[in-house]
This record gives sequence, C-alpha cells and structure tokens, in this order.
Amino acid sequence: MRAAFADRNFKYLLIGPAIFVLLLIGVFPLVYLLIVSFQGITMTEVSTEFVGGRNYAQLFDDVRMWEALLHTVIFTAIALPIELLLGLAMAQLFLEKLPGRQIFIALLVLPVVVSPIVSGATWSLLFDHRFGPINQVIGWITGNDTAILWTIKPNLVYPAIIAAEIWQWTPFMFLLLLAALANVDKSQLEAASIDGAGWWRTFFRIVLPAIWPVMAIAILIRGLDLFRLFDIIWALTRGGPGTMTETISMFTYVKGFQQFETSYTAAVAFLVIILLSAVVMLALKRVELAR
Amino acid sequence: MKDHSLILRRPGLLRGLLLSLVAASAFAWAGAASAQSAAQKAVEAAKKICSGKTITIVWEAGLQSLDPKNFSGPMWEKETGCKVNVIEVPTEEMFTKIMQEYRAGTGAYDALNVIPAWMPDLVQAGALEQLESLVDKYGYRDELKKIAPTYRDNQMTVNGKIYGFPDDGDVFLFYYRKDIFARADLKKAFKDKYHYDLAPPKTWKQFDEIGSFLTEKLKAEGVYGASFFRQPPYTMFMFQERFRVEGGKFFDAATMKATVNSPVGVKAFTEMRNENRFMPPGVEKFGFVENLATFLKGQSAMTISWPPYGRFAAGYLGSEKALDWVPKSQIAGKVGYALPPGGHPELAAGFALSVASTSKQKEAAYLFIQWLNSEEISNKRVQLPYTLRDPFRDSHYTNPGYLKLWPDAKDYLAALHQGAQTGLLDLSLIQTDKYEEALRQGISKLWAGEDPKQILDKIAADWDGITNQVGVEKQKAVYNAWAAKSGAYPR
Repeated sequence: MRAAFADRNFKYLLIGPAIFVLLLIGVFPLVYLLIVSFQGITMTEVSTEFVGGRNYAQLFDDVRMWEALLHTVIFTAIALPIELLLGLAMAQLFLEKLPGRQIFIALLVLPVVVSPIVSGATWSLLFDHRFGPINQVIGWITGNDTAILWTIKPNLVYPAIIAAEIWQWTPFMFLLLLAALANVDKSQLEAASIDGAGWWRTFFRIVLPAIWPVMAIAILIRGLDLFRLFDIIWALTRGGPGTMTETISMFTYVKGFQQFETSYTAAVAFLVIILLSAVVMLALKRVELAR
Repeated sequence: MKDHSLILRRPGLLRGLLLSLVAASAFAWAGAASAQSAAQKAVEAAKKICSGKTITIVWEAGLQSLDPKNFSGPMWEKETGCKVNVIEVPTEEMFTKIMQEYRAGTGAYDALNVIPAWMPDLVQAGALEQLESLVDKYGYRDELKKIAPTYRDNQMTVNGKIYGFPDDGDVFLFYYRKDIFARADLKKAFKDKYHYDLAPPKTWKQFDEIGSFLTEKLKAEGVYGASFFRQPPYTMFMFQERFRVEGGKFFDAATMKATVNSPVGVKAFTEMRNENRFMPPGVEKFGFVENLATFLKGQSAMTISWPPYGRFAAGYLGSEKALDWVPKSQIAGKVGYALPPGGHPELAAGFALSVASTSKQKEAAYLFIQWLNSEEISNKRVQLPYTLRDPFRDSHYTNPGYLKLWPDAKDYLAALHQGAQTGLLDLSLIQTDKYEEALRQGISKLWAGEDPKQILDKIAADWDGITNQVGVEKQKAVYNAWAAKSGAYPR
C-alpha cells in the first residue's frame, strides 16, 4: 500500500524542485509586486501600511502614463510590420544561391549582436547635426549645409527612432524567416509551378502557411521586445521632446528608479503585466500555438 | 655651581620651578595640539581607527574621480594607511545609486559626493549622517567658517544641521573674447547702432543686442556672437538663474502655487529661444563639450559655463593625458571673465562631501572627507588641472600658487570670488528631481518649437501636482526655508 503511494507520487518528487524554483523566480516576485502596489512606499516613506487602491486610482488619472503606453503602441505598430516585411523580403532574396551569401548573411546579422544602448549611441552620432553622416549626405544632395535636428524636432524624432530600431532588429526577423523559408517543402512548390500558379498565389497558399508558425513566434518575440523598448530611445532622445517619445518602460524606470515612487511603479508594472499577458494569450490563441 | 647649591638648599624654589616646567610643557603641548590643522587632526585620528582598512567613496565618474584615484586617495593612504576605494558613478545616476544602496542597507558606501540640491531629499530619507558631533570632536568648525559664504551658508546644512561639506565651487561664469570686444571697428559700429559701449553685457537685453550684432559682423569670419550649452539639463540651470535675475519667483510663498509661468518666465523662455538664432546652427544640441569646443576654437565670442572653461581656455591643462580630449585652445590670453548678465550666477550643481548613514565606518569616512575638504588639502585639490573641482574657500581665491597658474588667473579668481558672493542656489525642495524633470521636459519642448506660455503653464501644472502629492504645507515649509537662504533670490 505504502509502496503504491510512493510510486504514485514519485513523479511529484521529481518535478518538485523545478516547481519550487519556478515559484521562487516567477510567482514570488509577482505576488510581492502586487503587495507593494497596495502600499505607499515612496522615496521618503518606507512604511508598508496598506493604502488600498490609491495607486491604481492615481494610475488611471496619470495622463503621462497613458501617453507613454500610447507611444509604446505606436512604436510597436509601426516598427513591427516594417521589420517583418523587410525581414521577409531579405530572407526571400537570400534564399537563392548568391555569390558571397554566407558573408552577407553574417554581415547583416551583426546589428542584432550589438547592445541596444550602443546601437542608440551610434545612431545618435549618425544623426548628429554637425558631424553626422546622415546630414552630410543630405547636404551633398541638396548642395547646402544641413543641420537637421533629428532628435529634437517633433516631426523627425519618431522616424529617427524607428529607423534605428528597424536597422537593429530586422536582421532578427530575417534570420528566423530565412530558416523557415528554407524548410518549405520544395515538392509542393514544384507542383504549384507545374500547375501554373503565379508567385503571389504560391506564396499565399503554400509558403505562408508553411512558415506561419515560425513567423508568428517571430512576431510575438519582436512585439514583446518592442513593448519594452527602452535603450535606443534613452540614448537618442531620453523620451523627449518633453515626453513625446517616452515609452512605458522608460516611464516605469523614471518613476521607480529616479523618483523612487516604489509602490506607484509597482502598480504600473502590474498593469503592464496584465495587459501584456492578455495580449500574449490572445495572440497565442489566435495563431493556435498554445495547443 | 652656586646656583645649584642655592636650589638644593631651598626646596620651595625647586618645587616652584618644577611646577612651572610642567605647566609650560602642558601649555606647549595644548598649543601644539590646537595649532594642528584640521587635515593633521584627521590624519592623526585616522591612523588609529582606519589604518589597514578601506573606505569606499562615491564620486562622479570621469575627470572628477581622478582626484581620489590619482591624487588624494594615494596621499591619504600614504599618510594614514587607510585605503580609498572609489566608486565612479555618472552624475545622472548618483542620486539613484545612493538611494538604492541606502534602501538595500548594505553599507557598501562610506562617504558620498552629493549635489547640495539633493540634500533635503537624502536627509529626509535618512541616507545622510548628521556631522555636527564629528565636526566638534575633530575640531573642524573653525575651518568650515572659512568656506566662501554662498557655499557655506547655503550648501552645508538641512534644518540647521550639517550634513555635508561644500567641496566644489560650481558657479556659472561669463566668458568673452577680449580681443573681439577691443576691436575699434566693432566698438564704433556698435556704439553707432546701440548708443552704448561694446562691453560685457550687464543685462540680458544687452546680451541679446551684443550677440546678434557680433554674429552679424563676424559670421563671415566663422565667429558667432555667442554659444551656450542648450541641452535641457544645462539649460535648466540657466533658466533658473535668468528667471530669478529678471525678478521671477518659483512659487507663491503663501499658497505654494507655482508661479514659474509668470510673464517673467514667458519672457525668459521666449528670449532664450530667440537667442538661438544668433548662435551656431544646432546649438539646441550643444552639451558641455560641444560648447567648449566651439568657444576654444574661437567660433563664439561669448559663452557661459562652469569654471573649468576658464582654465581650459587659458590652456591650463598640465600634461594630463585625461585631458587629451580638450581641444587645443586657440584663444589663450584672449579671454575675459565676468559675471553673467544680471550679476547673480547660478551655483549650478556643485558637490558636497557627506557620510552615508548606512556606513559601517562612519568615523573613518568622516575623517577622510574632513581631510579632503580642509584648508590645506583643498588648496592643492582645486589647483589640479584635471579634476574639475573649483575654488570654494576664501583662501582658494587668493592662493599665491593659483594666482600664478596663467597670466590672467587673478582675473579669473576675482570673478569666481565675486560669484561666490552673489551666486544663486539651485531650487532645492522635497523631490527636487521631479520639479527639475518637468523643467527639463519643458525646455526640450521649447527647442522643439512649442509655445513658451503653454509650456510654462504645463510646467506650473506639473509642479502644482508634485507639490500636492508631497503635501502643500510640508513643501511650503521646505520652500520657505530654502527661500530664506541668502542665495535663493537676488537681494
């Protein structure tokens, strides 16, 4: 009887440590974050008394927070499709056997291995109004000295950030999609060709369904990455002009680690977790990857 | 011989002589002890409690930290046997790091460099050790009194208690090209146009007129009338100065409502943006280095900045490799020094030396900062070409060695001395950074082209929001205490 019980529960014993570690690094911080979000800890106030839903009420009135969230959505909504399409186009191009293909692929992937803060600093130099090559090239074309303030003027600052973001992360899309495209069943492509299907029809009916699981994962990973966009913007604009390019990650950092609004920041972080979890669950359900 | 026998025959006399000797020795010993400088006292005490140990100090990363790393740290170790570990932190992260460490309570930092405007926040949080008893214990009060009045009276105490020693005489100086201002053709043309002499401007109106005039006349020669650092963190200080010089008040002292959006504020913002037109293109992006390079290359006739500009412009760099990045001055000997228009320069940032309340060796940390800050050692430190530590003691301005460092050093020190008497404090409240952040954001909007009045209304609304969050009465008390200081508003 005892032996049967031990046999039945041996599996739990085996997975126990793993569950414990998961709870420790996953659930505990989440629960702790939730607790802190109902307290009133600030720079000068370390009392852990509960203040009810005060932080959450404040959060709903915080225009800057909602604007930061909106900026994040805008960056994601613009950069993600461009990275996807460019990555797909590049993958399609490099699917063919080209001379020096391996070297080109290696070079194209380089931006991904650069730290985002370094990438941001590099783009800051590229956009420099006096010594930056971008203004110099524009100057050569227009024949005038050009001192465009890419990171100051409101109509230029978004394109500047998005350009830097796309430069760095399109190769990531490219790599994943190249691998996916290389694994599309060649016999199906040949059959479609024999049947007289055009390029678009072949792409939408055969290629896209074949690469979709990988593409969906790539979109999800990049979407989540873009949602926590921080480094490049920090290096380029610090969220300016004003708070025009401030993302939710930057807002959280400033509130939490510069202004020490600890409990309020916990409430913001919890809201973001809820929102992101909902988005991820919906996305997974939609692409049927959760099964 | 006779005398000896006399003494031996009269024991009373012998006793008296012995007593006199003992008394004289005691007086001599006490005299010697009191004659010990604050630096010597710190060294003697540190030998007993710190020898063989290590104290950790937070210092601004970059040039500033070369002082404890290359100069004062090794010197302290040689004299006391006490090692100094320097933690370099970029200025913008110093507050965060200090607070994080305080909250974690690890005791990782013993001594700190803090910007005086942060002191109310750090004290309220409990991160700084009160130094009153240690100042008395190690006899430092007299030397503290010799710190220049503006720094001593405004950057040392919170609620009347000492929490830091002002250790860096940061002040904005006005630098101008003497050779340009002396050109006969320019002087005549300027007088004809504006009906007063071409000279360093006393008001911002004069500055605007001189700046636009010089740009108009000299642009073809590659010289602009003026250049400033315009990145928001720097402009924030310049606005604070200009706003008060023009008569502005940050808050209504009775209600604590922000009044930064008053007509004075709008005027200052509007003029600041207009001035960019006679400055080099892209000046909105100029930081400390870009503006320095422009001035040192002779491309601008006027600028305002911290004291190191004056030393760099004079070519006083020593042979320090760390200063290789400083462009070779093409204007050495041609630079004049004055106070910025209005005559009340901003004491922008600065540093004070403090002791971390979580330190496990507070006394040793205290002794190190007393020694650093002392008359004897600070006089050497402010002359180091590479550390960006500026004169802050009365004796620094008249130091014979400093006066001879370059031909115009006496004028430079005289201007700094003047600034140390009339300088204006940075705004310092509870949660100062939030108020400053709103201002910095407003300035970046100003350069982006938004309407000055709307920007200032938003800043005022943000400031009111912060005040309400802190608590109006609580903040009002802090503001009124700050406003009562001699350097808060021009007097």
